[in-house]
Amino acid sequence: MAANDPADTLAGRALPHLGRAPGISAGRGLDWFNLFVANIQTGFGPFVAVYLTTQGWTQTRIGLALSLGTISAMASQVPAGALVDVIHSKAAVAFFSILAFTASALFFALWPTPLFVYLAEALHGFSSCTLGPAIAAMSLMIAGRRALGLRLGRNARFAAIGNALGAALMGACGYYFSNRSVFFLTAALTLVALVPLMPLARLYESSRPEARQRPGPARRGNMIRVLTNRALLSYALLAMLFTLGNAAMLPLAGNVVTKRAAGEGVLLIAAGIVLPQLVAAALSPALGQLAEARGRRLVLFLGFCTLPIRAALFAYVTDPALIILVQALDGIAGASIGIIGPLVTADVAAESGHYNLALGFVGLAIGIGATFSTGLAGWAADGFGSETAFLAMAAVGLAATALVWAVMPETRPR
Amino acid sequence: MNARSRHLPHRLRPATAAALLTFWTLPFGALAHGALAQSGVDTAPSAAETRMPEPSYLEPLNANESTGVLGSKVVGPNGDDFGLITDVIVDRDGRPRAAVIDFGGFLGVGSRKVAVDWNLLQFDPSQRDHKAVLALGRREIQGAPEYRADAASAAMVGPPAVGASTGADGGK
Repeated sequence: MAANDPADTLAGRALPHLGRAPGISAGRGLDWFNLFVANIQTGFGPFVAVYLTTQGWTQTRIGLALSLGTISAMASQVPAGALVDVIHSKAAVAFFSILAFTASALFFALWPTPLFVYLAEALHGFSSCTLGPAIAAMSLMIAGRRALGLRLGRNARFAAIGNALGAALMGACGYYFSNRSVFFLTAALTLVALVPLMPLARLYESSRPEARQRPGPARRGNMIRVLTNRALLSYALLAMLFTLGNAAMLPLAGNVVTKRAAGEGVLLIAAGIVLPQLVAAALSPALGQLAEARGRRLVLFLGFCTLPIRAALFAYVTDPALIILVQALDGIAGASIGIIGPLVTADVAAESGHYNLALGFVGLAIGIGATFSTGLAGWAADGFGSETAFLAMAAVGLAATALVWAVMPETRPR
Repeated sequence: MNARSRHLPHRLRPATAAALLTFWTLPFGALAHGALAQSGVDTAPSAAETRMPEPSYLEPLNANESTGVLGSKVVGPNGDDFGLITDVIVDRDGRPRAAVIDFGGFLGVGSRKVAVDWNLLQFDPSQRDHKAVLALGRREIQGAPEYRADAASAAMVGPPAVGASTGADGGK
């Protein structure tokens, strides 16, 4: 299978403008970088609320801090994408984003006071939006258009492994040491993440200058053309719908597990976080290959299909252990979205000089979906019970899946 | 611009560096404003206090006899970890009625907020880790309805013996 050794083959043709073949290490570097970034992001998730609670924060203030992070991330998606577009060294962007994570983690660990926590949230929201596009852009530089699907499949595999390891590592750290130690660990991991970034520093976007040398008005017209592209708009809408039905699913399912689990629900919920990542790690390369061989639409459809199935099963499955098994389906969806998003965006915008802007636009759509998901699902679960909430999510997922077939054009280059 | 970048292929161009710096320091600027406003609020009363004579009605709060409870760890009778106290519910007279406990979950996923009768909690302020011991088993809080601060009525888990009737009265 080509999926077993694509780093070398991908990287071999990767960087013709560099003369030598340092691409092998660049490909491997990107593998590890994906792993560590996913690792780092674990601590900044819902765990922040737990940590701040142990620091004597009131729930209102915690809500404020989390909202600030969300708003910061949403507001900076598109501007951050535009910024990454004009910076030639994407490794520099990644470097500074990781340093911002270091600062955020240290702020949390050392000074859990409002000022520094708000700062950390804003900083983290900001730099997440520069880091994601930078990774996608480096992938494009390493693999080129033709093999990007395979490269993104690898990215998704290593990110999934990073997520799984992160959850296990941070969970153990919080349990055996202290909640505060989780952020010290995160800060330490950010410094480790800078190591695989070193071979990537040689990636330099000087080989495709034609798009950049266009004068201002033409460039702007180009940008409008990218952002009004049917494939990109369709994908953004679909990803938003999917996230609307998906984002609140794990919290809600976890809530049900906590309520029904016989012994400690903690281990079951940990399994519910780790298991989908293992599924994603196993399937990602194959999905990337499928996207290159059979098209983006098919892979997207496969991923989306699992959402209505999973939501409907959640509505009727009551055994906590079975709930965790159903949650494993999330791995397929997560992998396919993680691969197809940057891939379709590259199909539309890779040559335009606005790749990262377009990624930011898609990221904003997903962020909107996630924000409304938690609110709507919480409201439905409170008012009508969790079964109804799950069925509503299944309906949204079904609509999204049908729309993939109806509106999403195939963007695979021939 | 492009010619220049070709001369400095592996370094951050000055314009790029400036853009990056501005971008990553923006939140500091935005928040510094809030911080100043906040510190102004915080320091004003303390400055006033230093000028005023010490109030005569000061009572000692011995650290070994009293403790804050927000964020305290809650454990069961046999020491297993239940969660954290996130809020204290008081009645008209300010007497504590219930504690809201964030129960279960892993890394913040799947936890549920449950209100329990304040009298079921025991505190030992002389202990360094400020744990609260809850006189209930895991089973008894697990099935309790989720506590919502904004709900019209909420229920708290009462003592085991009368728990059933308390739950029925307090529910909707």
